[in-house]
Amino acid sequence: MNCEQCQELIHDLIDGRISQRDEFTLNTHLQECLGCDSVRQDLTSIVAFCQTHRGEYQAPPNEQALWLRIRNVIEAENGSRVAAQTQSARPSFVSRWLNHTWQLSLPQLMASAAAIVLLVSLTTVVGLRRWGNEGTPVASSAQFEVSTDVKDRVFQRTQTINYWNQRVEMNRARWSPAMRETFDRNMRVIDEAVANSLNELNRNPHDEVSEQMLNESLNDKLALLKEFSDL
Amino acid sequence: MRVKLLTRRSPVRASLFAVGSLATLLAISAGLAANAQQQISKRYPGGKTVRVELRNISGAIVVEAWNKNEIRLSATLESKNAHVEPKQINDCLLVDVMGDNRGRGDIGDINFKLQVPANSSVDVETRRGNIDVANIRSGLVRAYVSSEGDITLTNISATHVVAQNIIGDIFFDGEFSSGGTYEFKSTKGNITIRIPGDSKFRLVAASPTKQIKLNDFWNNGFKTQDGRKYVGDVGDGRSSVSVTNFSGSITFLRK
Repeated sequence: MNCEQCQELIHDLIDGRISQRDEFTLNTHLQECLGCDSVRQDLTSIVAFCQTHRGEYQAPPNEQALWLRIRNVIEAENGSRVAAQTQSARPSFVSRWLNHTWQLSLPQLMASAAAIVLLVSLTTVVGLRRWGNEGTPVASSAQFEVSTDVKDRVFQRTQTINYWNQRVEMNRARWSPAMRETFDRNMRVIDEAVANSLNELNRNPHDEVSEQMLNESLNDKLALLKEFSDL
Repeated sequence: MRVKLLTRRSPVRASLFAVGSLATLLAISAGLAANAQQQISKRYPGGKTVRVELRNISGAIVVEAWNKNEIRLSATLESKNAHVEPKQINDCLLVDVMGDNRGRGDIGDINFKLQVPANSSVDVETRRGNIDVANIRSGLVRAYVSSEGDITLTNISATHVVAQNIIGDIFFDGEFSSGGTYEFKSTKGNITIRIPGDSKFRLVAASPTKQIKLNDFWNNGFKTQDGRKYVGDVGDGRSSVSVTNFSGSITFLRK
């Protein structure tokens, strides 16, 4: 599920119209995606606030005149947008070229196909010769990219983890001593798993298992922080 | 003379004893009231197929099948501040302890026992505590412990099974359905999977500590990365099984 689908389903979830299957998929996505979870929390708060304070607001004086003014403003904005679009509606070279209708005879079509095949073959041969001769530098640059990629991912995750860590720190005074001990103990275990994976990756930057373990342990850390920040 | 003195003192002693006893009784009853556990037990109607969702904060969860088309929920609440308000929406029973107790501070452990029809989908989680699920034959069994607690799934036949914790053992005893997905994950604990010998599944098992024992399910088609990860098919591999353990063992046993 992507974020767009998720945010469509959040409305159904809040309205209580969501199917059980969708709800399970949605919850799985929300556990992994901070952005969507934040949207869900915001919408839930707004709906809850409105439900709690239903009927507490008074209509403004001369309600009809207010609506009339709002409509005028919207229509004025729409009018200026339409005018701007008309001004910028001159077709560019690319759009004219794309909208052009091509009519080719059979020999012309065959000649074009042959030219394309020749061009692709030449490019492939040249590319293979070039990369075949420069095998070692490509491998070393790939190695560099992998390690940088892992570092970037860890850095990004650390930023998110720091945010949730702050939320946990704000709330943990309210927890029972037993809950605090549980949290700390589990956090130590996850930190140990993260450290082991990083050590292994330092020794072997291409190690697939350690990379998987690192990703999963960082996900687990994030999940633990999010779960306990609610307490 | 001695007898006389004792006779004089006895009313004083008696009143002191009475006051002391009363104070002790008051203190004991106040202590008992403060630590009183609440018990709740409720029944909900349900068809043969229902869905149960339970989100606990701290405490054990036991779910077992029974031969009735209804759900029985029993709970022991450690604190009198705790509040449990199950909601039934169509065929779904939802218990959200977190939502029901927002702003109430520490509410201690709440231990749940749910008796449900055997075909029920079960989705239960707790921040801390053990989860036991038994005799369920349905579409979904999900047992999630955010931190520490053992997970025991016994006699399970479900299309989708998820069992995950950080610290604690995971035990699965059941069967893999064709086309089903099964996910078991622990950071520090042992994972044991007990299934029939003729089970057919595709396995991805990873444990950096190299403690993976496939036993009777091992075959030459498995690919391994120096013993830390095994990928391969058992039989036709129609169901998908993923097992991840960071610092514990993964063991497959034949029933």
